[in-house]
Amino acid sequence: MPKFDHYIIIGNGPAGNSAAEVLRMHDDQARVSIISDEGFPYYYRHMLCEFISGKKKEDALKVKPASDYKEKNIRMRLGQRVERIEPETKTLYLKHMEKVKFTRLILATGASPHVVPSLSRFEKHFSFMSKYSDALKVKPLLSPARKVAILGGDLVSLKFAKMLSAMKKEVTFFLYKDCFYPFELTADMASAIEKHFSGKKIKTFADIFPSRIESKGKAFEIETENGENLTVDIIFCFMGMRPNINFIQGSGIDTERGVLVDEHLKTNVSDIYACGDCAQIYNPELKNYWISVGWENAGIQGETAALNLLGESKVIKPSQKKILDVEGLKVNTSWWKEL
Amino acid sequence: MDHIERFYIDEKLADIKKDGFLNYRSKELPTWCPGCGYFGITQAIAKACNALSLPNENICVVSGIGCAGRYPIFMKAYGFHTLHGRSVPIASGIKLANEDLTVFAVGGDGDMLGIGGGHLPHIARKNIDITLFLFDNMIYGLTKGQSSATTPLGQKTNSHTKGNPDSPLKPISLALAYDASFVARGFAGDLDGMQDIFMKAIRHKGFSFVHLITPCVTFDKVNTWDVMRNGYHPIHESHDVTDRIAAMRLAEDQRFFLGVFYQDEKRPSYQEYLRQIHSA
Amino acid sequence: MADIDIVIEICGSAGEGTISAGEILSRHMSSLGFEIMSFDSYPSEIRGFGKCVAHSRISNQQILSPGKYTDILVVLNDSHSIPQLHAVRENGVVIYDSQPPAYHEEDKSIAGWMAPGMIAYGIPLHSLANKAAGSARGRNMVALGAMAALFGIDEEGFKTSIMKRYATKKQVVIDSNVNSFEEGYVWAKKNVQKLDHLTFSKVKLRKVTQNRIIINGNQAVAQAALDSGIKLFAGYPITPATKIMEIMGKELPKRGGIMLQTEDELSAIGNVIGAGFAGKRAMTATSGPGFTLMTEMTGLAVMAEVPAVVVNSQRGGPSTGLPTKTEQSDLSLVLAGGSGDSPRIVLAPSTVEECYESTCLAFYLAEKYQTLAVLLLDFFLSNSIRNIDEPSLPDKKMLSANISPSKTDLKDYRRFQLTESGISPRALPGTPLGMFVATGLEHNERGKPAYDSKTHLEMTEKRYRKLDGILKEVSPPTWDGPKANVDIGVISWGSTAASAHEAVLKARKVGVNAAFMSSMLLVPLNVDHFVKFSAACKTILVPELNYSGQFAAHLAQYLNRPIEKLNRITGLPMPSEDIFEKIMEIADTQKR
Ligand SMILES: Cc1cc2nc3c(=O)[nH]c(=O)nc-3n(C[C@H](O)[C@H](O)[C@H](O)COP(=O)(O)OP(=O)(O)OC[C@H]3O[C@@H](n4cnc5c(N)ncnc54)[C@H](O)[C@@H]3O)c2cc1C
Ligand SMILES: Cc1ncc(C[n+]2csc(CCOP(=O)(O)OP(=O)(O)O)c2C)c(N)n1
Ligand code: SF4
Ligand SMILES: [Mg+2]
Repeated sequence: MPKFDHYIIIGNGPAGNSAAEVLRMHDDQARVSIISDEGFPYYYRHMLCEFISGKKKEDALKVKPASDYKEKNIRMRLGQRVERIEPETKTLYLKHMEKVKFTRLILATGASPHVVPSLSRFEKHFSFMSKYSDALKVKPLLSPARKVAILGGDLVSLKFAKMLSAMKKEVTFFLYKDCFYPFELTADMASAIEKHFSGKKIKTFADIFPSRIESKGKAFEIETENGENLTVDIIFCFMGMRPNINFIQGSGIDTERGVLVDEHLKTNVSDIYACGDCAQIYNPELKNYWISVGWENAGIQGETAALNLLGESKVIKPSQKKILDVEGLKVNTSWWKEL
Repeated sequence: MDHIERFYIDEKLADIKKDGFLNYRSKELPTWCPGCGYFGITQAIAKACNALSLPNENICVVSGIGCAGRYPIFMKAYGFHTLHGRSVPIASGIKLANEDLTVFAVGGDGDMLGIGGGHLPHIARKNIDITLFLFDNMIYGLTKGQSSATTPLGQKTNSHTKGNPDSPLKPISLALAYDASFVARGFAGDLDGMQDIFMKAIRHKGFSFVHLITPCVTFDKVNTWDVMRNGYHPIHESHDVTDRIAAMRLAEDQRFFLGVFYQDEKRPSYQEYLRQIHSA
Repeated sequence: MADIDIVIEICGSAGEGTISAGEILSRHMSSLGFEIMSFDSYPSEIRGFGKCVAHSRISNQQILSPGKYTDILVVLNDSHSIPQLHAVRENGVVIYDSQPPAYHEEDKSIAGWMAPGMIAYGIPLHSLANKAAGSARGRNMVALGAMAALFGIDEEGFKTSIMKRYATKKQVVIDSNVNSFEEGYVWAKKNVQKLDHLTFSKVKLRKVTQNRIIINGNQAVAQAALDSGIKLFAGYPITPATKIMEIMGKELPKRGGIMLQTEDELSAIGNVIGAGFAGKRAMTATSGPGFTLMTEMTGLAVMAEVPAVVVNSQRGGPSTGLPTKTEQSDLSLVLAGGSGDSPRIVLAPSTVEECYESTCLAFYLAEKYQTLAVLLLDFFLSNSIRNIDEPSLPDKKMLSANISPSKTDLKDYRRFQLTESGISPRALPGTPLGMFVATGLEHNERGKPAYDSKTHLEMTEKRYRKLDGILKEVSPPTWDGPKANVDIGVISWGSTAASAHEAVLKARKVGVNAAFMSSMLLVPLNVDHFVKFSAACKTILVPELNYSGQFAAHLAQYLNRPIEKLNRITGLPMPSEDIFEKIMEIADTQKR
């Protein structure tokens, strides 16, 4: 490998960070840079709920101090968005009008909240909870709020609903079974959830959805398909996550729902790898692509991608199915770990 | 003999007293060598001041260092015996601070053209209203006979015993080139000529440059009284003193001329000019 | 209510409005009641092409030093700003243009150079300015608007400050600037999520009572000279003193005075001495290389007993040295420069306020004691901008200090009469019976050259006797802190003294038993006070901006003890942070 390589990682989550560490551990010469459009440093995403409830302070969210990057000489480019990749010239075009050259690239761009098409016309009324800036926005809104509606059905929504009810909020839950990406809830699971929520005094709509949502002053009015009207102070939307791959489209890197990679996490373009929530990984045994999400998986994939970038040829295996227990609610997952 | 001579001195003294120029001499007796040309210059300056009835207390004489630098000590006026080469800026400061004063800057050829030569172009182009008396004896007198900026090429001096290797400066040409608004030359042996020039110079509103040829009888055995007396000619009456090119031609002539070379009376002095632009 | 103490640096290239943005910010914050200290620098000598940095420290508490670390770096020019990053705090904020008209290469983009931990806000300065006023000129105002939004500065008031700054300009200019500001403000409010915790909005401020003026050291010196009745300023341009000359050129003619630009420094001081001789107040201002030339004539002022005020604003030396950097290495030159035993007055102000005060004193003392007074500033102090309370004007006594001869004196006038005070009544040219010849030669009471040993001794003693009187005219050195049993005594001078004072105050807050002493008057030095201070302190520390420790060495002859030194020749003002660290280090070793 030429001296003064520049390894760039797009994404400052667990996948990107473990990749950076591994790269530095095995190569003390190359430049290693992490680029992320979030301004806040690497943080425990799953603690955002505790952060907005006030249980955790800002500093507790941070995974490691800035000094760690300084010591390892890992460059951080925070608050910077990659808008375009040009594999032919190995150039990244950043939103703030900078061109950055890489010799090898790891895509670890994670995923973003998804809004089902039927709801997209109401999107402007929704609050999200997938990143630190969402939490900052939500925090001051939530404390005065009494009534909260949740539209969703992914794992975070379950966790979140539970937290809200612990905060003595009046919670109404609209359960969308089909947006439990990457798979859909079975009828059994849905009813288990419903049952579980009723125990927590969370009003649940399982098959009835909002037909109209309007803002009324600071509050929102929701009309359901069966004509029920309710007023809430804030509406959250948790419809699962979609890989952040928009900016990759057109670059020549193959994507489908996520960035397509082989079992070595290599994309179809040489010297470009993908890992974590944004990747869709080929499994030679299944002869199909699989999606793997979750904090821990992202970290393992980051390491693997980094090692392969450095010349090894590690294979990533779909993790074992396991039963996840969300406060008494058992859900089969292969990716999610209670954190 | 005795009797007659005493009678002669008394008469002379009475004349002198009546004339009044002695009022411009201090009680200090000059320490110059007997026969030095500076005596004549001193007398002519006193006479010019007297003729112009300048109040003593309104005269400021500023000098540098050298035999010539001693001059203020022998004049009854405010005096400032400053540093070698620096009479010009100090005289300038005095004039700028108090325009009512008549200010002279006095110094030798070493003082004014050697160490202090850098000030000359600037006082000239600023046209600050002082009168500069350059006592040019073509030698460093006070330090006992070394070559100066006006010592002729090849002349043997105490610093150049085989002959001065440097070409002499031409003070009049320089002053004209620097655009001094009054340029004249006098000779220490020509009292009346000097007095006439001095009166014009003092009256001139602006910078006046007066070059004075004077022998150093002690250290210069080449440029003696006799040589000088025969070597200088008055400028012809027909010379137009407002014609700078004509003045330059005279200055560069093989012969040495005495008198007023150039005078520009229209040009405002520095302070007049400032008043004009700041009142506008 | 919280306290705030932050440093903001705006960095751009000439023509980008860097300095005016800094100026507006400082003025506005001052009008709100904040203390400010700003410092503009042009690291390259040729201002037209180079980099400009407007550095401002803003606090609701007393400020004595410029602050070593930057809390907020505003980037108007990426490549110029990259070197400024080294001073940005670990968690400092960087505001940069996220919409420049063309792509930056990686090594020229600020975004690639920020250290982990820094917080960056990209603001589309270029496009917002274009949107607001149809040109990118107003990028600086967009940045100010964004800052106001991000750091809780009142929007309307800020706009008024901008209008004030451009009040003399055409309405379109005013509008473009205000609109650009507004655009930045609104955009940042809407689009930037604040990740830092800096805010001015929750700060308790002192009431703005008195009229506060914003000036730098050079302006303070010039103003004081004008207020002291200066009639002639003579100077030769040299950084960092040139500005004084320029102010004089503008202001003096309005008051019937003259600014004379001379051919060199010899002529400058010559003219000053000439004017002094003629009885008018005069001054020149220069820096080390010029002062070196002037030493030819400083001795003349002393010997001929003529008042002369000379400003030496120091830069890095020796020789032409570092023209745009600050240093305090001319001390030895100013204390001792020139031939012979020549007592002079040396005043070294440490703050902008003191620049004013010491200049007034210099004119008064020089005139009354008929001698040379040197004002010793430095590049930093000359250019350091403060908001200060309107200084009190020199009183009548200070404005006319010449001791003139009485009628009896004039009957048999002895200009250099031996007196107890060393002051001999001075007749000015134009006084009918007062004629005398002043001379740089040793002379007797009447001014006649005299080289005998008795006269030389008597006259030397007379000239030195003036120092006793001068010492009594000036308030004694500042002694801040306990008067006995001090662990660490910090003595300093000039601009470093202010940093040292700040460091001592900070050290005392954290429990260190420290005291501070400094004197604006360096010659004559109030030796008694320094000796007493020294006796009260276990350790003496002398921080200063030179390599060899010139003041420490000067003090050593009186204090007769080991002295700890802290020397910096970085070209930057002395950081109070460095002195504080040194104090803590000494405190540590003392404990052991
Ligand atoms: C509220 C919440 C709770 C969760 N709780 C759990 C839990 O309990 N257990 C668990 O296992 N998982 C949990 N997760 C999921 C887990 O956090 C993610 O699976 C994990 O963070 C994915 O890591 P990653 O590195 O792939 O991507 P991410 O952590 O999403 O990081 C990707 C980063 O890349 C940035 N990026 C994207 N595109 C660009 C671009 N073009 N230019 C620059 N930057 C870009 C993104 O902004 C983001 O900062 C939770 C998630 C949320 C939101
Ligand atoms: C700075 C300095 N250098 C040298 C001297 C010594 N010095 C005194 S007078 C003189 C030369 C004087 O010559 P000039 O000016 O022609 O005057 P003159 O004695 O001929 O009248 C010199 C070199 C000095 N006084 N100061
Ligand atoms: S040395 Fe020469 S110039 Fe000096 S006084 Fe004697 S003769 Fe005159
Ligand atoms: Mg001579």
